[in-house]
Amino acid sequence: MQRMACSFPDEVLEHVFSFVQCDNDRNAISTVCKSWYKIERWSRRRVFVGNCYAISPDMVIRRFPDVRSIELKGKPHFADFNLVPDGWGGYVAPWISAMAAAYPWLEEIRLKRMVITDENLELISKSFKNFKVLVLSSCEGFSTDGLAAIAANCRNLRELDLRESEVEDLSGHWLKHFPDDYTSLVSLNIACLGCEVSFSALERLVGRCPNLRTLRLNRAVPLDKLANLLRRAPQLVELGTGAYSSELRPDVFSNLSGAFSGCKELKSLSGFWDVVPGYLPAVYPICCRLTTLNLSYATIQSPDLIKLVGQCQNLQRLWVLDYIEDAGLDAVAASCKDLRELRVFPSDPYGPEPNVPLTEQGLVSISEGCSKLQSVLYFCRQMSNAALMTIARNRPNMTRFRLCIIEPGTPDYLTLQPLDVGFGAIVEHCKDLQRLSLSGLLTDLVFEYIGTYAKKLEMLSVAFAGESDLGLHHVLSGCEKLRKLEIRDCPFGDKALLANAAKLETMRSLWMSSCSVTFGACKLLGQKMPRLNVEVIDERGTPDSRPESCPIDKLYIYRTVAGSRFDMPGFVWTIDEDSAMRLS
Amino acid sequence: MELQLGLALPSNPSKGFDLNYFASEPKEIAVSNRSFTVASSCTDINDINDNNKKRSFDQTFENPTDSTVPRTLPLLLWNHHPNEEDDPKDLENHSLVTFNDKKDGDNGDGLVGWPPIRSRWKNKRLCHENNGAVGLENGFACGIRGSNSTYVKVKMEGVPIARKIDLSLHHSFQTLTETLMDMFGQWWLETGQKDSNQYKLAYQDREGDWLFTEDVSWRTFSRSVQRIKLLKSSR
Repeated sequence: MQRMACSFPDEVLEHVFSFVQCDNDRNAISTVCKSWYKIERWSRRRVFVGNCYAISPDMVIRRFPDVRSIELKGKPHFADFNLVPDGWGGYVAPWISAMAAAYPWLEEIRLKRMVITDENLELISKSFKNFKVLVLSSCEGFSTDGLAAIAANCRNLRELDLRESEVEDLSGHWLKHFPDDYTSLVSLNIACLGCEVSFSALERLVGRCPNLRTLRLNRAVPLDKLANLLRRAPQLVELGTGAYSSELRPDVFSNLSGAFSGCKELKSLSGFWDVVPGYLPAVYPICCRLTTLNLSYATIQSPDLIKLVGQCQNLQRLWVLDYIEDAGLDAVAASCKDLRELRVFPSDPYGPEPNVPLTEQGLVSISEGCSKLQSVLYFCRQMSNAALMTIARNRPNMTRFRLCIIEPGTPDYLTLQPLDVGFGAIVEHCKDLQRLSLSGLLTDLVFEYIGTYAKKLEMLSVAFAGESDLGLHHVLSGCEKLRKLEIRDCPFGDKALLANAAKLETMRSLWMSSCSVTFGACKLLGQKMPRLNVEVIDERGTPDSRPESCPIDKLYIYRTVAGSRFDMPGFVWTIDEDSAMRLS
Repeated sequence: MELQLGLALPSNPSKGFDLNYFASEPKEIAVSNRSFTVASSCTDINDINDNNKKRSFDQTFENPTDSTVPRTLPLLLWNHHPNEEDDPKDLENHSLVTFNDKKDGDNGDGLVGWPPIRSRWKNKRLCHENNGAVGLENGFACGIRGSNSTYVKVKMEGVPIARKIDLSLHHSFQTLTETLMDMFGQWWLETGQKDSNQYKLAYQDREGDWLFTEDVSWRTFSRSVQRIKLLKSSR
């Protein structure tokens, strides 16, 4: 019986393995025996690297010689909020060079928070003959020239998705570089581009690509051109409009409305910059089919929002500004019974006073009315423990709960108590919670609850919370599945970190900024934990110039099998086993 | 509404949180008021002495679940009284929240990166005039006044790494130029260029056009700048 597994020819095993796509399962397969390891590594086609510095390109290539799809992530999440200085790293160049040589059949590259240059893009466009998918999420370092190279050379391109990247807009002519006989576009997302793209080129491109499913335009595309685009692509499933404003004219309106009605497959809408409410009814005919609606740029008031969203009975995902108000969320709770994800963004995040009547009540209504709600991102200005407990009891199926009470340290507005028990209820009731972001006035107690109950938690974001190292210790010692922990402005110091040093190797990364960690502790960690990179990020100059007990500015710790990286800028200090301080 | 959490704290007999991983299996030892010791050969960390200020914790630490935590050495033994030096809890004080001063103290009234919304997203949404805009605060129009979404990217010609500068700290081209020269000063030492007159300041406005700052007033500039470039004057 023991010999059975080895008696299958390799081709059979490979065929069996081809039905297993999930990384964890494939990893498990590779540990069964040497022969399975060998077969699996030759047949692995997709690789996900959650931290581009956790492993080197060569190591990936050595193990998986025939990869067709790669996904890489670079900077830590807090880079989105300007907490990571420019030049920190996340350069994709070494990966592209290595893969250009090793993976000629590479088809897909997906990057998040990485730096990619025009040269890199050009190399991609020339090295991979069958290149199909390029997704650059929150990336930077490139210009429209790089896009021109992709357009010109990637004959089999299916997807070009620039979501939220920072692109240097040199010209809108890059779009013209798609050859006239190029027809394979399936998905194009240029919403982040500032400049006007050549509209005639866009129209022709859209018109000749029959498989186009996703089109996200940028703000510069005027509303009166939208109808023509839609008529050329009635098969669209996902659309991001450009600016949604124009003089109110009946002919433009009816043209637009007709064009929308013609899109029978449309399920997702976004864009809506500069909305003129008078044009919103143009989308009413398709609202009942919508499953995703992103109104986070739409500065329209609650009544208009209610009219719109009230017609979207099949909505699963809604992103909206707090202009929707509690009343609007009541309406959503009544109409959108299939809602899975809600994000409410602040329209005036820096104003000292609330500018709209959006409170915890809106979220409570949603939790009551939307039984499938799993994912929440909610910015508001007041919260109570009672509300949080109600939400927790209503929605134990929640998996992502991110609450941002705008003013740091805000207590329960009814009792003036910390919000510990409220968040405690969330982690206690929502047993499958994977992601949590905390805010408001919080003591070490909330971390005790989290460490006790949040056994499936994978990512935790903490700001302006806690009282002592005990808080951090609870999290590090209690959250078994924790992979990513990001902390800012909390009174956590060395003790919990050092006491849980081993835990850090089981996580992808830890970020701590404006806390109380000393350089001495960082040096100790760096020396004693060879499989961790301990990066001290400090723009004030060398940490040695300050007393060892002086708190460092920012700390980024991540596990790695690649050792220290070679591309650190001058403001990143790291210590390795030699106990010598390494500069970049 | 009654706050009933039903949080039954574990009522186990005192289990120690054994960080003493020298053995291959975690042992359960009683918690004691030992002082801190460092369980390794390094002597950099000072012993932290136990003193009489004790916190009362009902909670005892459960044993870590070992399946996920490798048996490596912790670098510090956890003791239950980590904060001998702290004051007792005082919730009224809001001393729970530490607002660390920023390194150069130049963030004014704003906190960097708070609230946690993407600055690029903010700038795109709010830096443009809105014909149909309702309820947008005026001071917000450009994301510059009274907020901390005032960081603008600066690139110097010939320098591969861009920097970001907080425009809210400046009110004239002079201070801006001085700061920029300092920022990129390191490059100058390397390239041997010291003369600030060798560089011209250009910026990209809201419409995407690139303009020279010498042609506009500070007011015009600060209201519409999206990005800054330092170009060699020989152009």
